Amino acid sequence: MNINFWFLKGIFKGIKTEKFPKKAPLDIAPWSTALVGKGNVDCPVEAIKDGKWNFEKCIFCRRCLPEYAPNGDTAIYKVSGNDRTFKKSFHLFPLDSGACGACNVELHNIAAPQYDMTRLGIFFTNTPRHADAIVIMGVWTEGMGKVLERALEAMPGPKLVIAMGACAISGGIIGTGVTDKFNADVVIGGCPPNPYTILSALMKARGE
Amino acid sequence: MRYYKEGKPKGRFIGSTERYDIYPGIYRKKEERQEPEPHRKTEQEFVFSYGPASGMLESSEIDFYTPGEIINHVDVDYDVRMRKIGITGLTPADALLRIERINGFHAASHAICFLSAVEDAMGVSPPDNVLKNRILQIESERIRSNLLVVERMAQAAGFGVPVNQLSLLREKVSRIIGKHSGHRYFYGSNSLGGTVFEISSLAEEIGEVSDEFRDIFRSLLVSKLFINRLQNNGINMESDSIGPAARASGIMHDARMDSPDLPYGELDFKPVIKEESDAFGRFMVRSMEIGQSSDLIKKVKISNDELSENQVGSVNGKGMARIESPAGDIFYGIELKDGIISAIDHIFPSVKNLENFRKSMRGNIFTDFHFNWESYGIWISELGVVLE
Ligand code: SF4
Ligand code: SF4
Repeated sequence: MNINFWFLKGIFKGIKTEKFPKKAPLDIAPWSTALVGKGNVDCPVEAIKDGKWNFEKCIFCRRCLPEYAPNGDTAIYKVSGNDRTFKKSFHLFPLDSGACGACNVELHNIAAPQYDMTRLGIFFTNTPRHADAIVIMGVWTEGMGKVLERALEAMPGPKLVIAMGACAISGGIIGTGVTDKFNADVVIGGCPPNPYTILSALMKARGE
Repeated sequence: MRYYKEGKPKGRFIGSTERYDIYPGIYRKKEERQEPEPHRKTEQEFVFSYGPASGMLESSEIDFYTPGEIINHVDVDYDVRMRKIGITGLTPADALLRIERINGFHAASHAICFLSAVEDAMGVSPPDNVLKNRILQIESERIRSNLLVVERMAQAAGFGVPVNQLSLLREKVSRIIGKHSGHRYFYGSNSLGGTVFEISSLAEEIGEVSDEFRDIFRSLLVSKLFINRLQNNGINMESDSIGPAARASGIMHDARMDSPDLPYGELDFKPVIKEESDAFGRFMVRSMEIGQSSDLIKKVKISNDELSENQVGSVNGKGMARIESPAGDIFYGIELKDGIISAIDHIFPSVKNLENFRKSMRGNIFTDFHFNWESYGIWISELGVVLE
């Protein structure tokens, strides 16, 4: 079996990459999108207060049904610091601080052919020295807090800190959020965030 | 308790919780066992550390003890990212939100096993439709999990095309799960006596994925470059192995055969068994189980009706359950007091798989590591966690 064999198999499969972000996302699981509704409900993480839904806390557990329901909008992220330097090439260093594995897999998924992050100039790196942004997943844990500090020191500037998923942002239902200890330039909501949400947030983070 | 009795050990040893040793249908007070002597670094060895921040999917620190090439010993440190999750003092419904997030990639397996233990403690039994729907969830989860294992093994070989084709299929399964359950990882899809997993066209959609996978599998099988990296890599001879690692070593261990919590008996289920014992055997079992799970999904004949029933049962009691997750046995034991969880026992498959992975690394070289590690499908999230 040689490389040409796999090359041909790849060619025969055809292009599977979707047109997102030029075209709307396909096939979105509802419970990874914005919630809309009215009234106060018994939310286990107080993501609904005074009738307002807070994506930074929501763990998408469905307890607020039927008062609140998902509306299909995947834009559940906030970008408070962006950098156009990364427009052509944006290298991400993933860091699992104390995640359940689902955030890890969803981040990994933006490399799947349906999304193909590389066509958008987004890449993973496994060393902070080559990273433009660190993507932190999971709750804050003491051991990984130190690793995170060292990784941030090792990263060259300019750099962005991205907190991905309810655990990293607010602690979710598991623990303490990483943003309690480190300032994040970008927060991406979800438990776990949808790959479309992750891609949109990353593009916004580089000023698009 | 419906199935579990306190008594003398009989049958295969499933594992130990904090308090009990578990056998099929039997539990007994945990026997004190001598911990193996920790490895002492010899003068010829140096320690090569990998992680905790690395190219792996999750964080852990891996130390290799080697005199140069051959690995004598491996330590995997996951304390660095330890999560403490409070379960006792909660209602089962509140605890479930946390249980789902122990290992999100196998959330259906964890949630269903936990709920089965709670239902056992309450002395209630969900409708047959719900039990069979749970099988559909676990088998869909198994297909996605096995696709990831094969994908990661192909990634270790640097095979770009199969990696992309496998991740394409895995994403398809995530979308199928998302469409049928509302959430790509089954969060919020299970409750006491109920389920939210709409099943019309599920068998056809999963069947298409399985057919596409078969083609990739056949191509990988004739790829000498790939197969050579797996054969004789990480030979596992441990008789207490679980899950696909056991079945790849000719051992007939599968909770779908010897745990009555889910009605697999009605589906004429027979495990996939291979004799190779190495990473190649584990690759074979994981791959063949994709087709098998798809066939099981086709065999389950239920309707979308009666997918929930209000479970009113005892608020005091003790229950136990065990199911076959994609990586092997998950066990939960629950004690309820006035409807609140007063004690929890558990066995997670990554614990046994890690132990056997470490043994199987002895005598290997570092370049074998990624293939062997991925072949066990170990989840650090299941190891670096304490339930309180
Ligand atoms: S889905 Fe759950 S966490 Fe999110 S707002 Fe509703 S009740 Fe709260
Ligand atoms: S945010 Fe949700 S999916 Fe992500 S690590 Fe936390 S529990 Fe898991």
